[in-house]
Amino acid sequence: MLCALASASAFAQTGDTPSVQAHHVTVSGGLVWTSGYAIGDANATLRGNAVGPTAPPFTLFRAQSSVDGSAGVDARVGFAITRTLTVEGGLSYQQPGITTELSGDAEVAAATIDAEQLSQYIVDIGVLWEVPRLKLGARARPFVIGGGGYLRQLYDERTLVETGSVYYAGAGLRYWLRGGDGLRRAFGLRGDARAVWRRGGVEFEGDVRTMAALRLAAFVEF
Amino acid sequence: MTRAIAALLVAALSLARPAPADAYLKFGFRVGATTVDVKWTGVPVRYFVNDRDIPGVTAADMRAAVARAAATWQGVAGTTLRFEDQGLTAAAPVGLDGRNTLGFLDRPDLDRVLGATSLLIDASNGSLVEADIFFNTRFTWSVAPQGESGRVDVESVVVHELGHFVGLGHSAIGETEPLATGGRRVLGSGAVMFPIALTPGATADRVLQDDDEAGVQDLYAPDAANRTSGSVTGRVTKNGRGVYGAHVVAFHAETGRMVGGFALNANGDFVIAGLDPGPHILRVEPLDDADVESFLSGGVDVDFRAAYAPRMAVAPVGGSSGAIEIQVVPK
Repeated sequence: MLCALASASAFAQTGDTPSVQAHHVTVSGGLVWTSGYAIGDANATLRGNAVGPTAPPFTLFRAQSSVDGSAGVDARVGFAITRTLTVEGGLSYQQPGITTELSGDAEVAAATIDAEQLSQYIVDIGVLWEVPRLKLGARARPFVIGGGGYLRQLYDERTLVETGSVYYAGAGLRYWLRGGDGLRRAFGLRGDARAVWRRGGVEFEGDVRTMAALRLAAFVEF
Repeated sequence: MTRAIAALLVAALSLARPAPADAYLKFGFRVGATTVDVKWTGVPVRYFVNDRDIPGVTAADMRAAVARAAATWQGVAGTTLRFEDQGLTAAAPVGLDGRNTLGFLDRPDLDRVLGATSLLIDASNGSLVEADIFFNTRFTWSVAPQGESGRVDVESVVVHELGHFVGLGHSAIGETEPLATGGRRVLGSGAVMFPIALTPGATADRVLQDDDEAGVQDLYAPDAANRTSGSVTGRVTKNGRGVYGAHVVAFHAETGRMVGGFALNANGDFVIAGLDPGPHILRVEPLDDADVESFLSGGVDVDFRAAYAPRMAVAPVGGSSGAIEIQVVPK
């Protein structure tokens, strides 16, 4: 609280417009949370027994797998091309687990099993555009973002890697706690909500999966 | 109707026994202090077909069916296994004559045995020297392309027996139910090498399943298999003690491949090789879907309930998962 008050004071004294300056660099770091998502259903089937080459399969059990929601850390570096348009790259790290629900087994009751935890890295690049005519008070500026990146998921024993790609689009808010002046750096908080489309990685059906992601970070402008 | 395996006993030979620590089940042979795989070391493997005709199946039909079945096994990716048809012979498909012979034989005494394979093994290194397969004329047979209701499909049984012929034992991937008349009926089968045949007229066993392919690759393409596949290891326990003979099936949720293995020592240890890389669901069950003796002999524990491993096991490329313990409870 003390820090926030001090910062607010500094921002008021400078009278800066709450916006990133063109050709300036911003660095941010914070937390990211991603919702869980399904990664595929599968039936363990045996060949049925009937006359001819084919017969209805015999289902031994069914498996429904999902990646659990998880929190992690996120760091980003952006370069402001203009006061409203920033190109940024980021790296995030999370450790989601995989859960599989087993059912339909004539000999075993329905059960839930866990896979080994994943170590997940995403390297992405995207653009952030502050909506010029949209202001929420003196310090807050809404923005929209979009981009894509590389997904790398390692199983817990680090013996197997799955890779894929992610794409995202969303919106968020920058809130300046202090404006920049000379050697003093402008800084603030930013948060965004995104829809994320993921292709590849740990995936049992080859589908594109959609999930939600939230990010909250502190940023400094250089 | 069950299929039987017979190991031919002559001087310096002994019964085949399961090789330790692998998926499916391979024949193994004790040489000194180690158990080695029973397999052909020279290719091509030459064989003859007995020239006897039976109702519905001529010797030429039989020869063609054997050729198709041989092509099925040698067609498994990466294997060095090759067969060579030497034509028809008047020699019976039993006994020591220096020839590998397949054909029909009158065995009315074996009222549940469709066919059987006998193996002659070199005791110095476990390599196969001679093998014969007979098909029991007690049953009615068919070579109809789509199968024929009530008649046993020749090609399906040849494929199964050729699995023994090349060194594979029985797979336990299958579910059965007991029949009121005795014996068991197959509900579903995940391997040609399952010891109980499908209903007469079924032809599904002409096509190898994942477990069969993993087995023959292990024997005849180990280097190729090791480069592209992985394995999972673990232990089956009941009240803290190992469970000998527990059957473990590894299911890959992405590829749908299912490969089985056995806990082959008193500690309950198992290794399932030839797996697609990735996470596997492990399911363990007792060997109660067929005669236990058709898989393993002596001391097999079937007094436990089927269960799943508490987590998935990840098979890495060219390596093995960390050991996983699967706890089961008595029935």
